[in-house]
Amino acid sequence: MRSRKIEHAWSAIMLSPGLGLILIFIVVPIVLTAWISLHQWSMYTPIRGMHFVGLANYRSIFGDPGFLQALRNTLAYAGLSILFIVPLALAFGMFLFQGTVAGKSALRTVLFIPYMIPTLAVAIIWSYLYSPLYGPLNQILGWVGLQRQAWLGSIDLAMISLVIFNVWQTVGYYTVLVIAGLTQIPIAYYEAAVIDGAGTLQRVAHITLPLLRRTLLFVVVIAVINTVQVFDPVYVLTQGGPAGATNVLSYQIYKSAFEYGLAGRASSMAFVLFVILVVAVAIVMRLLRADEGTE
Amino acid sequence: MRIRTRWPKWTLALTAAALLGFGGAQKVTLTYLTHWPPDTVAKLQSAIDTYQQQHPDVTINVRAVPFGNLLSTLRSQATSPSGPTIAGIYMLWLPELVQNAIADPAPDTYTSDVQNNWPSGVAGSVTVGGKVYGYPNEIDLYALNYNKRLFAEAGIQGPPTTWDELVADAKALTKRDSSGAIVQQGFGIINSWPAGVVHPWLSLVASDGGQLLDGTTAQLTSKQAMAVTDLYHQLIFQDKVTDPAMGTANASTTGPYLQNFTNGQTAMIIMANWWESALRDGMGDSFSDVGTAPIPVGPDGTGPHPVSYTWLNMVNAHASDAQRAAAWSFLEWLDSPQSGQNGSSAMGDILLSMGILPSRTSDVQAHSDRLDTPFLAGYVSQLKNAVPFPAVLGGEELTNSLQQWLERMEFGKASAQEAMQGAQQDIAAILKRYY
Amino acid sequence: MKLSLGARRRRGPDPATTALQVLVMLIIGASALFPLFWMLASSLKTAQELQAAPPVWWSHHPTLSAFANVFRQLPFARMFLNSVVIAGGTTVGIVLTSIMAGYVFAKHRFRGRGLLFSLVLATMFLPPIVLLVPLYRLVQSMGLVDSYLGVMLPNIANAFGIFLMRQFIAGVPDELIDAARIDGASEWGILWRIVTPLLRPAIAALVVFAFVFHWNSFLWPLTVLQSDHMFTVVLGLNRLVSYTSAVRFQNVVMAGATISILPNIVLFLFLQRSFISGIAHTGTKG
Repeated sequence: MRSRKIEHAWSAIMLSPGLGLILIFIVVPIVLTAWISLHQWSMYTPIRGMHFVGLANYRSIFGDPGFLQALRNTLAYAGLSILFIVPLALAFGMFLFQGTVAGKSALRTVLFIPYMIPTLAVAIIWSYLYSPLYGPLNQILGWVGLQRQAWLGSIDLAMISLVIFNVWQTVGYYTVLVIAGLTQIPIAYYEAAVIDGAGTLQRVAHITLPLLRRTLLFVVVIAVINTVQVFDPVYVLTQGGPAGATNVLSYQIYKSAFEYGLAGRASSMAFVLFVILVVAVAIVMRLLRADEGTE
Repeated sequence: MRIRTRWPKWTLALTAAALLGFGGAQKVTLTYLTHWPPDTVAKLQSAIDTYQQQHPDVTINVRAVPFGNLLSTLRSQATSPSGPTIAGIYMLWLPELVQNAIADPAPDTYTSDVQNNWPSGVAGSVTVGGKVYGYPNEIDLYALNYNKRLFAEAGIQGPPTTWDELVADAKALTKRDSSGAIVQQGFGIINSWPAGVVHPWLSLVASDGGQLLDGTTAQLTSKQAMAVTDLYHQLIFQDKVTDPAMGTANASTTGPYLQNFTNGQTAMIIMANWWESALRDGMGDSFSDVGTAPIPVGPDGTGPHPVSYTWLNMVNAHASDAQRAAAWSFLEWLDSPQSGQNGSSAMGDILLSMGILPSRTSDVQAHSDRLDTPFLAGYVSQLKNAVPFPAVLGGEELTNSLQQWLERMEFGKASAQEAMQGAQQDIAAILKRYY
Repeated sequence: MKLSLGARRRRGPDPATTALQVLVMLIIGASALFPLFWMLASSLKTAQELQAAPPVWWSHHPTLSAFANVFRQLPFARMFLNSVVIAGGTTVGIVLTSIMAGYVFAKHRFRGRGLLFSLVLATMFLPPIVLLVPLYRLVQSMGLVDSYLGVMLPNIANAFGIFLMRQFIAGVPDELIDAARIDGASEWGILWRIVTPLLRPAIAALVVFAFVFHWNSFLWPLTVLQSDHMFTVVLGLNRLVSYTSAVRFQNVVMAGATISILPNIVLFLFLQRSFISGIAHTGTKG
């Protein structure tokens, strides 16, 4: 039999490139972020030149309206995105999975393509669509008799404008996840239900949705992680405006470090973001595990 | 008796090598960081080519980044071995760069050069703690831009000179459609861009006899600051001659606020001189419709006072001695009448090609006819009244903070009172960190 | 195999339902493609047409001059090469390290394996912005600023790839591996000669995922890369937007955008089946 020692040796060798890189380029920076967050640092000096301030950064950010607004906006962006994405992915997934018309897989591809495009390019294209004077969206609104909007220039609509194109870009990806989840549901369940006389709606409610729960939770987790990180569109389009309506955490962190020279403060914000995300994902994972237990 | 000593060959060779090594010039490579667009960089490059021909031991590489990336690039690279030797910076960033020993103080010859050849106010803007830290290049200031054709259509003789006239003219110049939405606004204000929000507002404050800071004490709750904020509030919500949604700017400082003016949908707006090229681009022949006038004066003001700010070229204190010496020498040449055409410096020529005002006295004289054109004359005549934006530590952050509060007021999320009190609190807290 | 949730497989679908389905499909398809259509249409318009309000939907004089202009404004060909090197190099690195680590987590046993795997997974949930500043300093201290390696190395540390490979390799029958061990094959040989050929769909999925992700990435290359000649296509697009931000240059920006998305779309169209089956395996198996 293979000696334990030899297997352990191979484990170490094979793990070392991947885990080594993770250690150097992920774990070390996380520790450094936490360390920097206890200091004041303009980034104009080497790390040794930082000025220790203890927990002062953490205390000040929770009283900082900019940080709190960024936190609210990030949660709003994530929440709104998920609110649109999950039902749409579910609806598109079910639509594409069943049904009898040819071309469904072509449509699935078409839905997926936006995910391939760099977010920067998507943001720029949509900024032209949203352009109050030269864009087609306002033109279309005019055709149906609605008032022209300022979209990204409107304090009320800027956030939802960003959400709309995030949904456009990513719904195809989540739809594919839902379709994958649907393939896991045994046909036998549906056949039994038909024999028992259940109608379409009942079958969806009592078989499809419950058995999709794990997939949907996974979709939510991935969507949370992706939307909380949003940076590119805010950077290139709105710069957090107007009046901070689209100021999100990653942008606030970037501005604090690179424009105001407050890398310590920025790191404390980043660390808070990290902790929030870990807690949120842990909760969702716990639900996922609890789900598995009952199956 | 031997009179002549025969030197061994190797000592001759050694001496020759030493002479070539020390007496000959050391090759130096400099990096010049700038935010200028590609066409302008090409002009800088040809000036550099001329200099390199005259100084074969110096090589200068230009690194151009968009304006939005300039400060972050500086922060990431200033202390790096491959960092920029020379950087074109906004004067607001200088105090922090000096505090962190990034900006190299100018050697005495160059200090005298700056102090003798630039107006004292401009030389002062590159001086921190009594020492000069760079060569000033462009100076920018604000004026009331207005559309002469729209004025003529509304039957108004000339641009407003007081706030009352401003309000009256704006009312006459505003057009609305059947649903009451503004299709032509009398007076435009900018948002989503810190300088675009704060500088015009501050110009009105200064023209009412007020200021942003008294030394390092915030003055946001002063009578004049409140008066301008109230004026904005009135224009937007009572008189309805200003539509903030038409004033959005994007990361490249263009966007709807610019488009609405070039389309003739904004009759008046306070903006800086450097948007001339954008206006020409967008308006073509209609550019002749644009007029520039002094900032309207408020009830407590004695005269128009636009806000001004400068840019400068600084030298990186982390560069080697040889690099710094070469950098200062190059900057002296670039900014001297020797490097350009007809008594102008190369820098002056480059700035004028972008329609930007040079600050060196001899450059202003050399380009007097270009500076006399209708658009620029409105700015140049106000240089004497200009009030420099206060260059304090935390300057970027407090500009952003004031921008946020003004925008909240403009979009109806805060009253004028709340906005100024909030800004006062935030800015005082920011300044407290440094002073 | 198409499963009908309605389980109406006896009779054929009636025309009304078909028509409705086609209509829904057209609406979804049009909404998905409209922005891309606008991008392409804009890239072919003239400066005057771009400044027309209300907007022109398709140019009356379509021209490719904007595409030529892109190459004049920026060293776009060089940027394309940079993107290929960076995305391609990172992808190869990710695939290799993920196969190795995935094999260990799936087929080797050691104390703490579960905990270590969970910790590795936890790093997937890390927003890049959290690491940006110290990671930059780290890369700077290694002398890797403004270099391909500086961009690539931190990205090869990829937990998602390890996760994907572990899921797939877990599905390889143990008997196959044990038989090879009995025959005297080393772990290294087993991994590369027996297990890896079975991973083709997973590798295809990871290749598409990693290549597209790193082709598209913006923030990290923006921070690390300094010189024009090192920039990626996405960074070039950012430049293009900054320097040609007037409305009449929108065709140039859109031409740049069109060029920037071509490789990803081509790669995806080639490998889409494997890619989608690969995603399916990440979501639904524990």
